[in-house]
Amino acid sequence: MDVKCIINNKNVILSGREDERLRDVLYRSGYNSVRDSDDSEGFAGSDTVVFNGKLKYSNLILLYQAEGAEIRTAEGLLNSRELNYVQKAMISSGIVQSAYNAPAAALILTWLLEHNPNPTKDEIKEALSGIFIRDAGYEHYYLAVKLATELRDFGEYRSEIAPSFRPQLNIIGKPCDKIDGASLVSGEKVFVEDKVPQDAWCLHVLRSPFAHAYINSIDTTEAEKLDGVEAIITAFNCPDIFYMQAGQGNPEPSPHDRRLFNRKVRHVGDRVAGIVARTKEIADKAASLIKVEYEPLDAVYTVEEAMAEGAPLVHNGIVEYRAGAPDNLDEYNKGHEDVREGKVVYQFPLHADIRRNLAASNKGQIGDVEKGFAEADAIVEETYQTSQIQHTPLEPHVCYATVEGGRLVVHASTQVPYHVRRIVSWVCQIPENKVHVIKERVGGGYGSKQDILVEDLTAYCAWVTGKPVYYRNTRAEEFYANSTRHPMRVHVKMGGKKDGTITAIFMEVKANTGPYGNHALTVPMNSCSKTLPLFAVDNMKYDLEVYYTNTPPAGAYQGYGTPKGTYGLMMAMAELADKLGVDYKTMVEKNHVESGYMLEILKGLGEGREGNVVPVGSCGLTEAIEKGCEMIKWGEKEDSGDPDWKIGKGFAMIMQGSGLPGLDHSEAIAKLETDGTVILNSGGADIGTGLDTISAKIVSEILCLPMDKITVVSGDTDSCAFDTGAYASSGTFFSGNASLVATKKLKDLILEEAAKQLDEEKEDLDVKAPGVVWSKKSGKEITYGDLSHTAISGTGRGQMIAHGSFVTAASSVPYGAHFAQVAVNIKTGEVKVQKFYALQDAGTPINPEAALCQMYGAVMKSIGHSLYEGIILDKDGNTLNANLTDYGVPMIYEAPEDFKSVLIDVDDPDGPFGAKSISEIACNGAAPAIGIAIHDACGVWVRSWPMSPEKILKGLGKI
Amino acid sequence: MVIHHPSTALEAVMTRKEIPCSVYLAGGTEDLRLGGQGEGKELIDINGLVSSDIVKRDDGMIEIGALATLQDLIESDLIPECVKKGARLCASFEKRNSATVGGNIASRRDDSYLGALFCVLDVVMHTITPHGEEDKKVSDYFPTGCRRLILSFVLDPKKEAFIKRFGNTSSSHATLIAAQCEDRFALSVKGSKMVMGSSPEIYKDVEYVSDIAGSAEYKKYLASIVFTEGGK
Repeated sequence: MDVKCIINNKNVILSGREDERLRDVLYRSGYNSVRDSDDSEGFAGSDTVVFNGKLKYSNLILLYQAEGAEIRTAEGLLNSRELNYVQKAMISSGIVQSAYNAPAAALILTWLLEHNPNPTKDEIKEALSGIFIRDAGYEHYYLAVKLATELRDFGEYRSEIAPSFRPQLNIIGKPCDKIDGASLVSGEKVFVEDKVPQDAWCLHVLRSPFAHAYINSIDTTEAEKLDGVEAIITAFNCPDIFYMQAGQGNPEPSPHDRRLFNRKVRHVGDRVAGIVARTKEIADKAASLIKVEYEPLDAVYTVEEAMAEGAPLVHNGIVEYRAGAPDNLDEYNKGHEDVREGKVVYQFPLHADIRRNLAASNKGQIGDVEKGFAEADAIVEETYQTSQIQHTPLEPHVCYATVEGGRLVVHASTQVPYHVRRIVSWVCQIPENKVHVIKERVGGGYGSKQDILVEDLTAYCAWVTGKPVYYRNTRAEEFYANSTRHPMRVHVKMGGKKDGTITAIFMEVKANTGPYGNHALTVPMNSCSKTLPLFAVDNMKYDLEVYYTNTPPAGAYQGYGTPKGTYGLMMAMAELADKLGVDYKTMVEKNHVESGYMLEILKGLGEGREGNVVPVGSCGLTEAIEKGCEMIKWGEKEDSGDPDWKIGKGFAMIMQGSGLPGLDHSEAIAKLETDGTVILNSGGADIGTGLDTISAKIVSEILCLPMDKITVVSGDTDSCAFDTGAYASSGTFFSGNASLVATKKLKDLILEEAAKQLDEEKEDLDVKAPGVVWSKKSGKEITYGDLSHTAISGTGRGQMIAHGSFVTAASSVPYGAHFAQVAVNIKTGEVKVQKFYALQDAGTPINPEAALCQMYGAVMKSIGHSLYEGIILDKDGNTLNANLTDYGVPMIYEAPEDFKSVLIDVDDPDGPFGAKSISEIACNGAAPAIGIAIHDACGVWVRSWPMSPEKILKGLGKI
Repeated sequence: MVIHHPSTALEAVMTRKEIPCSVYLAGGTEDLRLGGQGEGKELIDINGLVSSDIVKRDDGMIEIGALATLQDLIESDLIPECVKKGARLCASFEKRNSATVGGNIASRRDDSYLGALFCVLDVVMHTITPHGEEDKKVSDYFPTGCRRLILSFVLDPKKEAFIKRFGNTSSSHATLIAAQCEDRFALSVKGSKMVMGSSPEIYKDVEYVSDIAGSAEYKKYLASIVFTEGGK
């Protein structure tokens, strides 16, 4: 049907079926700012439009209902290509990050300011109550509104956006609009879905209804007869290539324990068949015609079940090693030749034993913990359980692949373009030069897009069919067929003396990696390697084991293993302080590391190999603790005035890393263009965090070139050079340093060329704004444009191109402390996070406003996993809450009333301009800070996530 | 998806009677939501057939058109604060702009924003059935499965009520909603049928179940204290 309506003040005819969702029709008609994050759940708000003057979810409106309607979308906010004042303020405030629903947020705030020019905080909160923000948190949205009103009323900002750092530098450490902010907030076609042509073929995945079963046969005959079905890929016709989906450095510290499709399904939602069809409807129909003969098996869902004697084995086939095979391997494999089990291939030993469901293990120690415990005046020994958490990026996992010129072109929403290329080349059995991965803008990753969860199959389907193939996870699939945060059981034994000195720590980690071993070793390792080094304790021991189960898969999630380890250790320390009668702050102060402390504990905590023992480098931990304690008034008991509501305070010290020294590798290529502008090709993957802006700022700072003369092309495997990717907090430190190296080399080339052209000595030359080389001796000048033009003339020496590569053994660790004040209702168990202060040492924050927003966003995620979130399975392994409403992500009403992020000023000797990482570490503090605060409020230690009202009531003996 | 476009309210009711697997489409926040009650069913669009006005009648009572949205309630000067509070239990502004009062009651969900409240406020619905127009109390309608079309609600604005919600997050489905007006008490408990009565002891009448919203034990505890200790 055709529907006449007015969209953005223009008469428009929308065409489609009367029962089509308005969102889908609008998007198809070119209003691509109207996105879908929830499959019509009416939750996330990416589909918000103004419909007859009211903000509504367009997914909940059918096409025919738009007849005669007046509709506004974010496209209508633009004046030609000029952003409106709200959009500009949003970019300036730092909230335009992964930005999948930033255009919708801009529309909402514009609508708000049109109806209420000076809204209160509560009114802003109400306007934003229907939009889910996962990346930047909500706090700077209030700042964005304030900035917008200032821009509207005064033509300029009058409020401080963020603190500035390094006065001697021009642009590094100063708030500055993100270079891709305008395209993101205006709703340009920058995401994978925007690159998909109308004639793309649809990939649909038939998934297992069983948690654990053999597939004895698959009959696709009827399905293949359907017109419009191009191919059906199953375990019986897919390549016999074993790999894993974790995007880690090669050789990976994860087992290669899966193929594209397996003869054994290992979780509800595991792949059974991939159907390439002309339309989704045909693919759905084909899926219904596929006959699968399953042989169900008993399943295991918890570490305890997986460890049990005689437990069903998730993997029980042949084991192979690429290196380091044990002598008894033949014997180990004897009797396990059932081809349905597949095999497990280790790149090197992970201390695994699949015959016990053990996917990986490690142990190590310093000092003598038994001696330490013997010296202790008190010992606590408790177990802390974390839950299975979904990343819930606003843009689900998505991929579009096509074949062009005999090469496979993969448009991906990924954190790891080069790992995608490698794994796709393995799966398709073609060399890497035949694969071109283009990382589009990433609408939220948080670690889940470090894994190659959809690109492998989509690319393979495109390669074997020659068709352009598009795949997108449903929101439900995001929950049960994706990666999640590993559930962990962290057992801590800690002893201390009456003066607060900790004498020994033993940390036992039992992790649940689900059906496949993505990050199986390294996430749990991280639980120890990014927590124990906070402690200046002589006797420390760790023992970690990781088990296969039949739950939805686990993988990387922002913070990696650290939030779980931090939860266990900080809670245990608070319990020990309580038992000893020592103030918790005193105990923290007595036992934390400071600059120069030699971290012997790191020796055994490498990523599958021996770690580097290094001293603590730049460290703002002491300042973060002191300042945070002042802010939250540590030691002062608050009274709510209501006997039912008790108030408590807690805090946790935190650390992370800045990439993986000795493993990560980043490269960049800086080119002086013919007019004196610069294009920097960065291998780094900007996933919304502002990495491209960091690279541009580095170029600007070094070459004294205005930001608008610099373009950053990143994450394109054809045009850029290798980078391990955006994970392990490596972006600023590794990719930024590569940009710095390349830019410094380019500057050197520029000065060399200028010396020739100006007939001067290179040592007498320098650069100055706006892109000029000048002689300190003669005063002669030449612009980059003139310099470059001459260099590439017929008699010139060619374009100035510099290549930068960065590797390091240096470990630049960010530190911090997170503080919470909570109110607990002792009658109902309800918890309110009243205050949250996140104080972090990020070295030099290159984009301070973006850094603050990443802290707010990470803390909100952590408040979510601490209090509300968690995948719930039934007894058969089905996910019961595979939607955003039931899963329990925090919305604006869950944000703390008083929420502050503070950047502790520390200059790091190894980071680019002194920068360290910022984002991941911010996931680590909320759980222990809130847990300790809950105890302070009501006397209950809640030792598992989520720390729900029900658990508090149980602790209080009410139920 | 099949959509019917009746031209009168009576025609809508007759269509619903003739098609067993049909539901009325009002604001769409339940019918059109993924996994919502409209999934796999035929939709009967009642927009334009039913009023959305909120007016004060000569007798001082407030008449709320069934297609008034939850946000309309909040924005109306005629609506008492307790009802506005009930409407705000739907945390999403966008959703409140679409979700209708009639739709929320007609859905008879165990986490209905307004169900328990309207029961204790003794709200009367004006409805239409295949046999003609008829008034019915919400408290009588809620436990039934009848397929009548709600046209409007009549509310006494002088009545004030207590309403309290428990839920995981602001946007989750409620674990429990309790409402009280004078000696009328109602409990909506996730997974259970709504119970009403004349004392806080009604919590004993609920058949509690354990589900993703919490254990039966937890829900029972909340229900047992909400009218006495937990209502602050």
